[in-house]
Amino acid sequence: MTSQPPSPPPPDAEQKRASFEREALAHLDTLYRVGLRLAGNAADAEDLVQETMLRAYRSWAQYTPGTNAKGWLLTILRNLFINEYRRRTRHPETVDVDTIEPYAVFPEVQDEDPQATFFDRIVDDEVLRALDDLPEVFREAVMLSDVEGLRYEEIAKVLDVPVGTVKSRLFRGRRILQARLYDYAVSMGYIKGHTT
Amino acid sequence: MNCRECVEHLYEYLDRELTTDLEREIRAHLADCPPCGEHHDFEVVFLKFLHARCSAQGAPLALRRRILEQLFDE
Repeated sequence: MTSQPPSPPPPDAEQKRASFEREALAHLDTLYRVGLRLAGNAADAEDLVQETMLRAYRSWAQYTPGTNAKGWLLTILRNLFINEYRRRTRHPETVDVDTIEPYAVFPEVQDEDPQATFFDRIVDDEVLRALDDLPEVFREAVMLSDVEGLRYEEIAKVLDVPVGTVKSRLFRGRRILQARLYDYAVSMGYIKGHTT
Repeated sequence: MNCRECVEHLYEYLDRELTTDLEREIRAHLADCPPCGEHHDFEVVFLKFLHARCSAQGAPLALRRRILEQLFDE
């Protein structure tokens, strides 16, 4: 019995790996950030991202090079999260998010701090906490748009909703987030706010 | 274009997701209406702040390494 030396991978496997590293792995930070905000803890986020990359690699033939790899990967991540992770981590909202009518912060600060310098005093952890407190449908829209820079059309594809829904979720999600950060800033004394 | 309509479309304007015509109307209104102009600037600050504070964190190096190893096993 002869022991075989490890054979080098065939050239097409090599090529596949190289193109995957170049086009998919380049978005690892995005996947991790979104995964973390969805799953709510680092261990689940890492598992979720690793599994996403494995699935993406196995179906890499279905991806057209040069098209929107970020959106394609985020769609895999999100579906995986919904089907396999959400059950054991967070639960989908039971509140009817469509009834949430957030107020606008700008009129509250217009006189005292129209340049919104109070935002600068809020620490990162508090911002992330506020983001985590958003109902999931708003949180994912805000993440994809404001943190990861996707266009409405791309977000609509990832979330599998019409563009109009993306628009309204962004509008309300941003306002809820703003209001929450404003309340925090007032409670910390960073801004006086309106005393009622 | 009145103030209410302007504020309603402000995010789409900032996201550059409006039609050329509507974008032009909003831009004209913002130039003519100081309160809406200030509101616009406030939202710009907020969106920049949000992006800066939430995009700092990247994937752990150990995760990247694990994924690369996993691909080599495939």
